[in-house]
Amino acid sequence: MGVSYRGFRKYLLILLFITPTILSVSALSVYPIAYNVYASFTNRNTFRPRANCEGEAVQGEAPPAWQTWLTQRMEPTCWATFAENRVVGRGQFYRLTESLGENYADMTGSLFSRESLTSTGLLLVGVSPLLAVWYVRRRQSKLLSPPRNGWLWLVALAVSYGLWQVLDVQAALTRLQETGDFFIVLFRTILYVAACIPLFFVVGLTLALILNNEHIKGRGFWRAILIIPWAVQSYIAALVWQFFFRGEQGTINQFLEALGLFEQGPTWLGDPERPYLAFVAVVVINLWMTYPFFTVVILGALQSISQDQYEAAEVDGATWWDKLTQITLPLLRPAVLPAVVLSSITTFQMFNTVWLVTQGGPIKGAGQPGFTEFVMLHAYRLFQDQNFGRMGAFAVIIFVMLFLATLFSLRLTRITKGAYE
Amino acid sequence: MKTSRYIVLALMVIGALLLVACGGGATQEPAATEPAAEPTAVPAEPTPEPVVEEPTAEPVVEEPTAEPEMQTITIWHGWDGAYFTAIEEVFKAYEEMHGVHIELVRQDNLSDAMAVAVPAGEGPDILAWVQDQVGRNALVGNIVPITEWVDEAYLNENFEPAAANAMVWQGDVWGVPEAQEGIALVYNKAVVTEDMIPTDPTDMAGLLAAAQAFREANPDKYFLCNQGIGATSQDAYHVAPVYFSFGGDSEVGYVDDQGNVYLNTPERLEAANWLVEFSAVAPAETSHEICNAGLMDGTYGIWWTGPWAIAGLTEGGVDFGIAAFGRPFVGVKLLMMGANAVDRGNEAAVVDIMKYFGSAEVQAKLALVNGTVPANTAALNSPEVQAVYSSAAFGAALTNGIAMPNTPFIDAQWGPVGAATAAIVSGAQTPDQALADAQAAAEETVAGMK
Repeated sequence: MGVSYRGFRKYLLILLFITPTILSVSALSVYPIAYNVYASFTNRNTFRPRANCEGEAVQGEAPPAWQTWLTQRMEPTCWATFAENRVVGRGQFYRLTESLGENYADMTGSLFSRESLTSTGLLLVGVSPLLAVWYVRRRQSKLLSPPRNGWLWLVALAVSYGLWQVLDVQAALTRLQETGDFFIVLFRTILYVAACIPLFFVVGLTLALILNNEHIKGRGFWRAILIIPWAVQSYIAALVWQFFFRGEQGTINQFLEALGLFEQGPTWLGDPERPYLAFVAVVVINLWMTYPFFTVVILGALQSISQDQYEAAEVDGATWWDKLTQITLPLLRPAVLPAVVLSSITTFQMFNTVWLVTQGGPIKGAGQPGFTEFVMLHAYRLFQDQNFGRMGAFAVIIFVMLFLATLFSLRLTRITKGAYE
Repeated sequence: MKTSRYIVLALMVIGALLLVACGGGATQEPAATEPAAEPTAVPAEPTPEPVVEEPTAEPVVEEPTAEPEMQTITIWHGWDGAYFTAIEEVFKAYEEMHGVHIELVRQDNLSDAMAVAVPAGEGPDILAWVQDQVGRNALVGNIVPITEWVDEAYLNENFEPAAANAMVWQGDVWGVPEAQEGIALVYNKAVVTEDMIPTDPTDMAGLLAAAQAFREANPDKYFLCNQGIGATSQDAYHVAPVYFSFGGDSEVGYVDDQGNVYLNTPERLEAANWLVEFSAVAPAETSHEICNAGLMDGTYGIWWTGPWAIAGLTEGGVDFGIAAFGRPFVGVKLLMMGANAVDRGNEAAVVDIMKYFGSAEVQAKLALVNGTVPANTAALNSPEVQAVYSSAAFGAALTNGIAMPNTPFIDAQWGPVGAATAAIVSGAQTPDQALADAQAAAEETVAGMK
């Protein structure tokens, strides 16, 4: 046909074609997020559930016109479609908070005060040598023959330790923990992710390597068996594991007691003196539930690695370890990184498993987050008083953090690179 | 060629726009037609019977319009199992008597369903729930008061005190009680005999002494399992009879309707000290499952639990007894009027159904089938209900109970009391420190609500 669409017409055409998509995306994802952001600036709660659609005066004071304008746009109950059935209860009108960042300040405590930011800075300086080595080695890995400089890690570790002592980073960390629950909860959640992900990978890789071995008989059977944890409903798994970790009658303690390690095993999930036991328990449970995912992903990737490469390496006299680190791991990278990013996000947002097993405990006392009270459990607890405003602020903070983390990891791993270029 | 392409394109775009526009129109339409439907429903409301007569007068012509004339009352509920079957029968009998169609819809998540349906005008006429939902739903406007038809005098005359009180919030009546629930000591007769349990239901010292003596005599067993008392439990409900049984401000529970918090009082501290001593002779970790299994196999003598546990124990063939003890929280199930019932002009029919459901006759029938504790006094005291062991025994336990508040401030109590109790039992905090923290945490939550 040879018809070419150029310039304005071309763009108009494209626009017309994608308009329905844009509309549905706005309706399905943009509006809910916008609504949540809007709610996060209001003082909405159980006692103040009503939208002030007409801008009525409250205690003789009418809200500014722009607030009413915003409410009319954002609040579905103000829309003409729903006005017909608007229900009026005993509750009061909600409005925007006095100072706009009020809910956010409530959530983060004094995390953004000058002192806390200094402490955060110190913390970053403390780990900067490790980051530097990581960056240098990353750049070098693109060279044709990267230098073997694993010893740099040791140097960086030593320098970090030195900085840690000199700058008293420990004290900075303590100061940060005093800024409020938010930092504590966030810090523990990140620790949880950092503990879980490497374990997922190591266990998944080990099992995948074993199952990929031709000398094992009935591989299909074993593969099926290993995927079982993945197929089990998470709440069933959580309850079974909670039983295993029980102090009295718990399977794990009975096993340990049979081995003669303890006379009476620890109260894994409720010992405030040794809260790390509960932490270990939830890591183990999460590992049990997630490793099949890694095994499957790695198994698939392993099978796509050509045997020729191993044969060539063997001719060159490579050992098993050389083959693993020089061929297998680099070639697994593209398959494993998305799995890492995905499970980092799900682990960060872990709720039901941890809730069913520990309810956030061991408990330190009322008004303090429990030792396994990770971000989503904390959010659930905060929501018990039905404060939608603060809840919205919390959700926005977590959303921004996860969004940035995802963007960063996408850039880092270039997962989507192939798809869009 | 080129132009025909543009025509096709333009048509497609117009088509897409029309689709979008129609989509918008369609959502508006039901809202517009609904008021129109209202008038047809209104005449049916005051006297449902004449409406039914109509089709019989002109049977041939009017047949298709006859059905929509039949008034339909929708009830949203969370009932299931044998309990639901019994309720279904009760309503079927009402349908036959009054020519009203009652539609029972089970909702797994009543909160979410109400939040979406009521503003859209598609909410239920009657909402069957628990009294701690009264305040919250009244604030949002999901439910409307029925004071006009049912006053406090009527409630006090017909229902148990805790149940009648639970219906009233901010001077209005919000529902008619269905049944009461609360916990008592359920003991395995093979392990614990009745004489081991103190006869005075407020003798907490006696209960502690009994637990200590039992543990000494049976080092591999425990006297009492309470799922609220454990290092890993955070359960303010099951531990409530302990906190409430030392007198003082306990009359009002943990919080009152003004948002005052009663956690750091001398009586509560006494209860907390009791918990410390008791947890030394009680299982370290508890839950519904743990207590249930322990009572079944005889490891635990007593389970401090409610009527919901009875069916399982009976099925498991456990020979059990029920003893009233302490002052439990009394939960009251009730029927409330949904806001949309007013739009539909169904108020009178709704109130009539509520009163029918609260009548002694119906409540006794339900209690006989399910072993529940009727909220209706006449039903509770009727010989046939008293003959049902669990209804009578739990009923006795609830006479000492404290009505669970129906104020939305109730949300401020669960977390702090649960956490404080876990901290006391596990030894993370001393009793006075734990209660002081709980008081502060609950007050902070209340302040955030005000």
